Amino acid sequence: MLLMVAAVHAQSTYTISGTIKSQQTGETLIGASVKVLNKQTGTTSNEYGFYSLSLPAGTYRLEITAIGLQPKVQEVILDKNKVLNLALADADSKMDSVTVTATSRGRSISSSQMGIERLSTKEIRNIPVLFGERDVVKAIQLLPGIKSAGDGNAGFYVRGGAADQNLILLDEAPVYNASHLLGFFSTFNSDAIKDATVYKGGMPAQYGGRLSSVLDLKMNDGNNQNYSASGGIGLISTRLNVEGPIQKDKSSFLIAGRRTYADMFLKLSHNEDIKNSQLYFYDLNAKMNYALGDKDKLYLSGYFGRDKLGFGETFGMSWGNSTATLRWNHLFNSKLFSNTSLIFSNYDYKVSIRNGANNYNIFSQIRDYNVKQEFQWYANSNNTIRFGVNAIYHRIRPGEVTSPGNSAVNGQTLQERYSFENAAYATNSWKISNKWNVTYGIRLTAFSIMGKGDFYTLDNTGAVTDTLHYNSGDVVKTYLNPEPRLALSYTLTPSASIKGSYVRNVQNLHLISSSTTSRPTDKWVASTNNIKPEIADQVSLGYYKNLAGDKYEVTVETYYKTMQNQIDYRDGAEIFNNMDAIETQLLFGKGRAYGVEWLFKKKTGHFTGWVSYTLSKTERKIDGINNNEWYNARQDRTHDISLVGSYQLNKKWTLSANWVYYTGDAVTFPVGKYQVDDQQVFYYTKRNSYRMPAYHRLDLGATCTLKQTKRTLSELAFSLYNAYGRENAYTIEFRESESDPTKTEAVQTALFKFIPSISYNFKF
Amino acid sequence: MRYLAVIIILLIGTSCEKVVNIKLDTADKKYVVEGVLTNQSGTCMVLLSQTQDFDASNAFTGVSGAAIQITEKDGATTQLTETSAGVYQAAGLTGTTGKTYTLSVTIKGQTFLAASTMPAPVNMDSIFITEDEAPGGKRNMANVQYNDPAGVANNYRFVQYVNGEKEQEIFVRNDELTNGNLTVTKLRYPKNDDDEKDNSIKTGDLVKIDMQCIDPVIYKYWYSLSRSATGGGGNAATPANPVTNMTGGALGYFSAHTLQTKTLTVR
Repeated sequence: MLLMVAAVHAQSTYTISGTIKSQQTGETLIGASVKVLNKQTGTTSNEYGFYSLSLPAGTYRLEITAIGLQPKVQEVILDKNKVLNLALADADSKMDSVTVTATSRGRSISSSQMGIERLSTKEIRNIPVLFGERDVVKAIQLLPGIKSAGDGNAGFYVRGGAADQNLILLDEAPVYNASHLLGFFSTFNSDAIKDATVYKGGMPAQYGGRLSSVLDLKMNDGNNQNYSASGGIGLISTRLNVEGPIQKDKSSFLIAGRRTYADMFLKLSHNEDIKNSQLYFYDLNAKMNYALGDKDKLYLSGYFGRDKLGFGETFGMSWGNSTATLRWNHLFNSKLFSNTSLIFSNYDYKVSIRNGANNYNIFSQIRDYNVKQEFQWYANSNNTIRFGVNAIYHRIRPGEVTSPGNSAVNGQTLQERYSFENAAYATNSWKISNKWNVTYGIRLTAFSIMGKGDFYTLDNTGAVTDTLHYNSGDVVKTYLNPEPRLALSYTLTPSASIKGSYVRNVQNLHLISSSTTSRPTDKWVASTNNIKPEIADQVSLGYYKNLAGDKYEVTVETYYKTMQNQIDYRDGAEIFNNMDAIETQLLFGKGRAYGVEWLFKKKTGHFTGWVSYTLSKTERKIDGINNNEWYNARQDRTHDISLVGSYQLNKKWTLSANWVYYTGDAVTFPVGKYQVDDQQVFYYTKRNSYRMPAYHRLDLGATCTLKQTKRTLSELAFSLYNAYGRENAYTIEFRESESDPTKTEAVQTALFKFIPSISYNFKF
Repeated sequence: MRYLAVIIILLIGTSCEKVVNIKLDTADKKYVVEGVLTNQSGTCMVLLSQTQDFDASNAFTGVSGAAIQITEKDGATTQLTETSAGVYQAAGLTGTTGKTYTLSVTIKGQTFLAASTMPAPVNMDSIFITEDEAPGGKRNMANVQYNDPAGVANNYRFVQYVNGEKEQEIFVRNDELTNGNLTVTKLRYPKNDDDEKDNSIKTGDLVKIDMQCIDPVIYKYWYSLSRSATGGGGNAATPANPVTNMTGGALGYFSAHTLQTKTLTVR
């Protein structure tokens, strides 16, 4: 026995490390799996395609797999530390029939990570969409536990949380308003996106700042093999994407732009004012990377997008995000990977109102400067450690009113707000045995509210009783919150496992919305002495099973989440106006959410797709609302079903369809009426005790490949949104009946019947 | 911001509207008090009614037999007399600027109280008509001009009548953005904006505007009422009962305000 142990120790351990890329484009692959054949060990590539695996000396066969690419088996003789860069070939260009479209990524059976959904832009290319605009944010809403906020609303709800409780990152930069055109499209141009990962629960410790989820989007790096251009011309937008090498194999650039022209249709209107209206957006993604030797790589990426909406000369509005990220990857050695990021992110809106003599403009902005340092240490074959620090400086300008020359409106500036959001974290993924994996970690957040500015003491009616003035540089208050993260998995069989997790998340930036849908003018507010950090604790449990040799995948996850310091408006709150002390308009309480999510996915073959079903409940209890009793959150939907399918008919045609069904939102309807000032006024008792009608919709799509070679592609994509013309309720309003004024009636407005579209996509 | 929704729907241009049947619950009846005291004689009036089921008729059905009085702070108490079912009046009672009044309504053992202070009047200088853009096309709109006094917070409510018919829109304004300025308030009514023909002011029409200087709590009442006026299960703010100054569990309000009226014939 002693001898045996000594023998094991005598055998040296070596590390094999490198980068995994696509052969065709040189794009690094995120989450590609490296498996040691005949041994129950392996790893996955990180967000920069880097992997590191430590094994005893010997000869191994490594199997490398990634979504949409041909698997590769590579033999390695490990007698010293080795660098092995790997490239995988495209799957679909050579084969007669597409057999490989997906391997399970991110959610591997044995990994302890749960509550994760991952989509690559390849996977969403066949999902039929509104106006033919492929949209990764719309596609993730077809997955269990992630709910669409409805037509005309880009927000989404994860496990009962509100839309502002999702952390949306584009190359690590927070995006504060992820919607274009009031929600019909997301800000993300699918041409420029490589990968989208959503964490619904069990968030790793490197993420923090929002309660419900993390949507982590990574932009393409750009083709470092050849110059290529791709794009599309659709009914309402045109896209163009250009990429190519700066130095072949080493560095590349990418520029992707998009502009909609929906307002062209407005010119057809007979109404002069509609003719003179504006309604469009554009966005631009750019990225370049540069290798400084074998151990260092720089990435620079940026996004700029803007929406414009104007009605005649009376009303104009524009809003948009801009982000920039500079990253430096450094490899200290084959086991220690470092990334340093400098991140800028900005969201602002401008509103101009021309109303006779009362002309004015409103401007509001949130801006972040953000520094991150992270280390990934592949300590040994059983432990991977991540640790780092992050500091964000937030500057919020809640509202500035300016008025041109002779306007009766006085200029006014609401107090700027400043804060530091600092965090440190450490986490270890530990392979305890062949069956058990655990990831444990902690994130420590310190949120410091900074001067200068006035801060308020409130009484229980929300009135200001005292004002405290702080000078520039003063720390008003610091909220210190430890956020433990724990995830555990137990492998039952090579194709089945169970997992459990506990996670605490803290949120210090809150979106205060004047209405139940997201608007560009919703206010981001930082925690103050009165607005406490929101805190969520979530436990979840899941079962995972691959069937028929990984052809099918079944997942069941269940969760229970509690939320503290949830925010709502007081009744009759005024949103703009003299609102330095916005706390006076707010009420605070708690929330709870629970549910079960099922996913059945067919991953390979001519026919691929999934069925997802979520059964859930989410409630709030806020002092001052609904007699202080629990009530349904608006996004509480009991049932939520998505069917997504795509069928490759032949080399030319691919057909697709998706169908969604969900319980109508919880809403407040009147229980009676009365007369005030000769008008009907409605009487309400309970908050959100009614339901909108159930929502359901079928979308159909077909893609016709006109020409395809190894490097070029041209195709026509057809889609029919809302194929059977269901009039889904956008609003239900109550009014005096038009036919009988002594009666009251309910009127439903729906936004769309069917919307057909066609777009032409190319690549060369 | 109310325009936003209207604009979206107009610009998309494909929205479809239909009347739907919704089964609504009923609730216990509540008393509704609408009390007005102004600085003009003959205008003091309190209406007392009850909430009705959603399916009931819209007609006003007054509640008789209440004991109603208005007390000036450190002053006299005046009893109101019922002049028709649910309508209580004190013809001789006029309010004074700066004074606080308390309304007391007692019916079947329940008492509802509300207090309101009459603000200083602000003179309405003029009214005039302009043609303006609206989502439904160009239309005539009434404008009110007044000189907002500096240094104090002022709250206003306007009521518009065209040929004697009252516009069903709540026009409330405050001076948070216009304090101390010569102000022109345009009486826009988004509620009917998509209605091209109705409610527009035409040549020859007689337009009458009431200008009320109101108590801040009454501003809050009208403002919160206007935000949930359509009872939307839609995408506006979550509907709720307006914020009232009535205590004791009654709906409605009691407002002590100044009143000034101007009329013009559209040419």
